[in-house]
Amino acid sequence: MRSGMKKIMIASMILAAATGSQAAEPLKFRQMAPIYVDGKGAGIRQPESVACRGNALVVADTGNGRLLRYAIAGDAWTPSGEIVLPQLPSPIRVDLNSKGEIFALDGSSRKIVRVAPTGEFLGYFAPTGDVQGTVVPRSLRVDRDDSVYLLDVSGARVLVLDPSGKILREVPFPKGYGFFSDLAVDAGGNILLLDSVRKKVFKVAKNSPEAAQLGESLEEEAYFPTAIAMDKQGTIFLVDENGNGIVILGPDGSFRGRRMSMGWKDGFLRYPAQMCISDNGTAFIANRGNNRVEVFLITE
Amino acid sequence: MTLRTKTALVLFAIVTTVAISLSHAQDKFRLKPGAKGKVCLTCHEAFKEKLKLPFIHTPVKAGDCSDCHNPHTSSHGKLLSENVSRICFSCHEGIVPAKARSAHKVVTEGNCVKCHDPHAAKNKNNLLQAGNELCFGCHQRIAKEVAGNKFKHNPVEKGCLNCHTPHSSAKTASLLKSDVPGICVACHKPDTPSFGKQHMGYPVAKSNCSSCHDPHGSGARGILWGKPHQPVANKMCSTCHLDPSSPDALKTRKAGIDLCRGCHNPKMNEIMGRKRVHWPVVDKMSCQNCHNPHASRENDLLKGPQLALCGNCHQDTIERLDKFAVKHKPAVEGNCTKCHMPHSSNNVSLLDNTNPINLCGTCHDWQKHSSHPIGEKAADKRNRNITMDCSSCHAPHGSEHKRFTWYDVKMELCVQCHEQYKR
Repeated sequence: MRSGMKKIMIASMILAAATGSQAAEPLKFRQMAPIYVDGKGAGIRQPESVACRGNALVVADTGNGRLLRYAIAGDAWTPSGEIVLPQLPSPIRVDLNSKGEIFALDGSSRKIVRVAPTGEFLGYFAPTGDVQGTVVPRSLRVDRDDSVYLLDVSGARVLVLDPSGKILREVPFPKGYGFFSDLAVDAGGNILLLDSVRKKVFKVAKNSPEAAQLGESLEEEAYFPTAIAMDKQGTIFLVDENGNGIVILGPDGSFRGRRMSMGWKDGFLRYPAQMCISDNGTAFIANRGNNRVEVFLITE
Repeated sequence: MTLRTKTALVLFAIVTTVAISLSHAQDKFRLKPGAKGKVCLTCHEAFKEKLKLPFIHTPVKAGDCSDCHNPHTSSHGKLLSENVSRICFSCHEGIVPAKARSAHKVVTEGNCVKCHDPHAAKNKNNLLQAGNELCFGCHQRIAKEVAGNKFKHNPVEKGCLNCHTPHSSAKTASLLKSDVPGICVACHKPDTPSFGKQHMGYPVAKSNCSSCHDPHGSGARGILWGKPHQPVANKMCSTCHLDPSSPDALKTRKAGIDLCRGCHNPKMNEIMGRKRVHWPVVDKMSCQNCHNPHASRENDLLKGPQLALCGNCHQDTIERLDKFAVKHKPAVEGNCTKCHMPHSSNNVSLLDNTNPINLCGTCHDWQKHSSHPIGEKAADKRNRNITMDCSSCHAPHGSEHKRFTWYDVKMELCVQCHEQYKR
């Protein structure tokens, strides 16, 4: 009996130690070859956004006024086309739906342009029906059900729209916010909002009418984070534009560390604008100041 | 020994012990009888003159020098028994309430001696100077404005403490004795006909008076801030607000940017036509994020000097700027718009020029100062998609190094690209 108890205790201690060390294990960013060019070998200029879904990667090549498509296979990528549209002279945020259509926010018009997988202009995407006030999207996300989430800075709210533009839900910004620059949506339909000025992340639970702060203020950990992304495990990544780094948070908002630093060479960041994480855990970072997309394989 | 004698002896021992310990507590330095205070003056003779002043700090008056000073040794200057920034609070605790809405910086820093003489002074409360002169010693800009104002605000002339508390305020901003408009309407009765007439019949009794009026006086009639918005200066409030007779008279005719567009349409079109907008321009507050719609002391109706105003959101940039050993002059002077366009731009970071070399060239004669190749044909060896420009070597706001280079010029900068010379 005593021997049995002892074995159970030792086994549970080993298990606890193993899971404990796994939780504390920091994520590793393995540097891969960055994306410098399109399919014709022309250089990328001031990319401000990236979107990945399935095996597709879209880069907003903002400085060149175009979108670039790449096919992802594992941690490798190959160019698969260029999209230039007069309606989209300055793409600053992009995302993809399940059909491979691209939703791109244009910096000049501040309208969302819907683009077919083949590159044709499908029209502008905006809320339909009775919308109160002006809508000025600062960022957007498309979830796995193809609902579109708009960060409406003019209306100080998040608008959740169905694929036809019908408003499904409206969530006001929380009181006392500074400025929201980006949002992310997890697989469960929870929305995360990034306040760049107050350096805080807010969470809107799927059925909640309001946002609540997630974790502590990141006053000591971030300079001016302007973009937020999540991986499949719910780990949160903040792109610290002025701090030239990536801030990592746990699903509960707890600080897990910082990666990258300022520099010109491969693997270094200069005013990074946004990032996305593919299903296999490859991170693509729109490295605006370095005119390229940084690629890292995230491992534990 | 009888029981009574034993009891008497025990009582005597207790009383003696208590008496000795009490005398030690009161005279921890075991001064001779009558020596308290006087002992110090035997050496500090000049101090006797100080004691002739009309207002003397209570412990000094009582000769309790050792309340603040240790006569033998101390880890603090002037043999103080506590750090100079904390010693006053050992008696004067509660000067700043735990959740004070505003507190005087010198108080929170424990810099009490900026205003008070710790020993004695000519002025009440041991103040170093009387009346406004004391405040104006630090608040020189206000002093200058008050002196030059054509239209004075009477309470300011009588004394800052008419409206402000000197240490902290539990419930009000700016150390005010009570909130605006309460403090204003205590004198300026809103129910008088002249008040209504002056405000064009608008129900402003509960409005923020200081959004139009400079409480310290002004060069403009009605002590409006020095740079009023034209409709305010022309008393045309209804340009932006509903008619004064309407039930919701203070409501604006349109919301946010649409209201400003009514007059500033060409400017708005120019702003909105560029590739990158400064996002606060199009958010809910829009123009009012940075501009006061009524009046301001700053040009362009800005809510404050640029460094403070931009720093409201870009606090990280301002904090880093503070830490730089070498700072770029426009940045440290708060002239952010020297390089950045505040509303929108076609360039990243809202820069005022597509070509960063030309932007720097507006102030720096770069073509003469440097022979290092820069421009579209000079590739940056560190990155195939980048060409050399001023920011390849110089940090635009400042850095730790001379001429605000990113790295130390002697050992680190050049070898970033010319790696073969790395030692």
